[in-house]
Amino acid sequence: MRPRSLPFLLVVAACNGGLEPTNALTTCPGGLVGICGTVTFRGRVPDSTAGVYIVAYSTFPQAADDLLNFKPFPPPSLPLPGDTTTFYSVALPNGRYEWIVAAWVKQGALSPASADSLIYEAGFYRDGGDTTSHGTGIVVVNGTGTDSINIIVDFDTMHPISYYFPTP
Amino acid sequence: MIRRAAVPVLLVAIAFPAMGRCQTATLYGTVRDSATGAPLEAVRITLPGVRTVAMTNAAGRYRFEGVPAGQVLVSVQRFGYTPRADSVQVPVRDSLRVDFVLAANAYYLAPVIVTAGKRSQLVDRVVASVVVIPDSEIARRAVTTIDEAVDKAPGVQFLGGQINIRGSSGFEQGLGSRVLLLVDGVPANQGDRGGIDWDLIPVDQVQRVEIVKGAGSSLYGSAALGGIVNLITPDIPDGAHGRIRAVGGTFAPPPHSIWEFRDARGALERLDVSGSYGGDALRAAIAAGGWHSDGYRQQDSSDTWELSGRGDWYPSQSNRLHFLASWVSHQYEDPLRWCEFGRCPGDSGLAYQPFLIDTAVAGAFTRSDKGLFAATFEHRPSETASSWLARGSWLRTDFTDIRRPTGEYGVSNREGLELRGELESASNPGRVVTVGTELTRSDVTSDAFGIHAEGAYAAYAEGEQPLGAAPVRVTAGARVDLLNVDGGDISAVVSPRIGAVVPKGRLVWRASAGRGFRAPSLAERFVQTSLAGITVIPNPDLVPESAWSFELGNFAQVASRLTTDVALFWTEASNLIEPSVANGAEIQFRNVTRARLAGVDAALAFFPFTQRLGLKLAYTLLYAEQLAHDTVPEQPLAFRPRHLVTAAADYRLGRFTAGGDFRFMSRYERVELYPPSDPILAPKVLDLRARYDTGMLSVLLRAQNVLNYIYNLVPQQLAPVRAVSVTATVSY
Repeated sequence: MRPRSLPFLLVVAACNGGLEPTNALTTCPGGLVGICGTVTFRGRVPDSTAGVYIVAYSTFPQAADDLLNFKPFPPPSLPLPGDTTTFYSVALPNGRYEWIVAAWVKQGALSPASADSLIYEAGFYRDGGDTTSHGTGIVVVNGTGTDSINIIVDFDTMHPISYYFPTP
Repeated sequence: MIRRAAVPVLLVAIAFPAMGRCQTATLYGTVRDSATGAPLEAVRITLPGVRTVAMTNAAGRYRFEGVPAGQVLVSVQRFGYTPRADSVQVPVRDSLRVDFVLAANAYYLAPVIVTAGKRSQLVDRVVASVVVIPDSEIARRAVTTIDEAVDKAPGVQFLGGQINIRGSSGFEQGLGSRVLLLVDGVPANQGDRGGIDWDLIPVDQVQRVEIVKGAGSSLYGSAALGGIVNLITPDIPDGAHGRIRAVGGTFAPPPHSIWEFRDARGALERLDVSGSYGGDALRAAIAAGGWHSDGYRQQDSSDTWELSGRGDWYPSQSNRLHFLASWVSHQYEDPLRWCEFGRCPGDSGLAYQPFLIDTAVAGAFTRSDKGLFAATFEHRPSETASSWLARGSWLRTDFTDIRRPTGEYGVSNREGLELRGELESASNPGRVVTVGTELTRSDVTSDAFGIHAEGAYAAYAEGEQPLGAAPVRVTAGARVDLLNVDGGDISAVVSPRIGAVVPKGRLVWRASAGRGFRAPSLAERFVQTSLAGITVIPNPDLVPESAWSFELGNFAQVASRLTTDVALFWTEASNLIEPSVANGAEIQFRNVTRARLAGVDAALAFFPFTQRLGLKLAYTLLYAEQLAHDTVPEQPLAFRPRHLVTAAADYRLGRFTAGGDFRFMSRYERVELYPPSDPILAPKVLDLRARYDTGMLSVLLRAQNVLNYIYNLVPQQLAPVRAVSVTATVSY
């Protein structure tokens, strides 16, 4: 390489590859290991909202002690645009997940003691014709993005997670 | 790093004839560039043996009053030029003109540095890798804050305002820097968060920056885990001097219309003034200024006001009292994260809008005030005799973050005392022992960190011993730090270091092994807050991070116009403090990570065709691995690029100079907190500059990120886009 070509090469090297306008995702981005899908919002967003998060439980929570055994942590929050549908993607470790839930979190200091009073189920993933009360949609993540994990969030019909605990 | 294989010894002793003050004269002259004939500004003229120092002005002129008559040695030094020294006969009660011509050379480094050993050392006797950023480089780049210049140093990288030396820190949201900042040798990391305010000292008050790579706790204690950055203020020259500087500039608009967010271009303006007076016994300098920036994205405007002063009092030839005071107020909007799809009006259906801000963080604003005061008393009978110094310092930081729904505030103080001696052996020339003791106290009052205080009590000693005819120099020492938080138990940390320098013809080999540590900051121990519904809980049981650093380096004077410096480095770190999940849904800082950072640092400087053109190239290869622990497998450390390349070129023709900087880093192998839609890039950034000097006036045109490469280095934070500015400086 002739030394005089160095400045030219530097300029060429810097001329491309930066950020470009990119349309919002409608499918899982390449390289993602996790889940993707749509979230459809219904109802009025409560004023006390701290955020809405998509989280995954490896096993269905059976008691208050299980409430915080979700992945990922910290979870990415969803935008809250109102009566719209938005695409989401969440990175998750490889594995089998029994419950993918949209968790509405009330403003306040979240801790193990306050979890059941601050975390509400606002919607969850249903598999096909599933009509059970808490859903039976099992999702397996295996090295790629698992698509079409669609969820309807209804702010008018939310339940504390303990609502779904089995009767002792 | 560029080092010198052989440094001419200029500061030879000179004996003045005994005579009264009436037998004095005036010494004056000019200093010019040998190739171009252009006058050289900021050349340091000293009369060894006498405390007098003068700096040339923009016209290259210097002047001494009251020089004792007789034989006088005049030493002339400037970065990037071969130093000169002439012996002249000064007549009684007369004036003598002595002009100098300096030749540019490939040596970019000052012959003497002060940081690596807490004393003045010839650079080819230092066991660690050192980078020096001279005033000429700072001036050429016309930077606003000193981090913009430090960022260009080989092996150094800034991520979201946080410095990394050989990948030391990654991106930790500004908490707990693993690099220690010094100002004239005074530790200046924040007392509460342990981070660094790079605008603490106005950039005009920095004469040069010394960067020492690798663990330096054997002399400096906590935070010197990955390296040390020392900002050194300039000597105050004889006579009266003044300067006015004005800057005006503009930011480029977004390169795509769909990203546009305002009708007009953003502007930046700056004005500062400085003045100094140097007399026989008293010298003082003061600087004041302010600047405003509209920023290059939404919610990005800032205003800064700064005031600083320095002074020297020489009660006798061998004693000096030096003080430094600085106050800066920075008030700025916080563009905390850009807008992802659905998170702001005007997202236009895009996955992200890098110039727009997430609605959830709209209105975020910070006021950050900081002040530093330091006083040092030195007793130095001569350049070669034993000496000692005592210093005291006070650093205060005061921040207010305005956020929704609530903000935070914090006031912190850091006070320090040090007593240090430098003992020279009369019977064994070259043997030097540095001993000292330090006392540091930090406290914080904050709604997020509570009210807490910590103390550190330290003693250190390090010796240098020449061995053999071709002197191999061996350095060994250690420091003991006793740490205490809120009056609780005292824990001790021992930090040893050993190293050697071996000259072999045109080569200088160096090797060192040392231990570094970083005590947890008060913020990491006691933070208690809530972020978007997630609670961050305190951990008072944190223990210091520690690391062993090993280095083997070589400097070579390959030819008269080519120098190289290569270093292999290896760091084994343990107990690194990282945010971790606690109790399922809380965040807590914990000692969790073991890590290994190893690689190669290589740099060369050369004049390929002519002395008018200087080039510097540097490359860092870094393997940064988080070692397996608990259930976490071995994986790359987050936010560490494998490859880092920097290049700089400067061309001088008469009064005109032009140059540029290029920087490339490879993609991160692992990141944290990045949204899936956020691409991870390999940034390539080019800066250009041109300067013209005429008489007292200099004009500099500067274009940063001239190709307008749009990128980010940390999650959802757009890095600076192209900015073009003009700086006009009038000096007297």
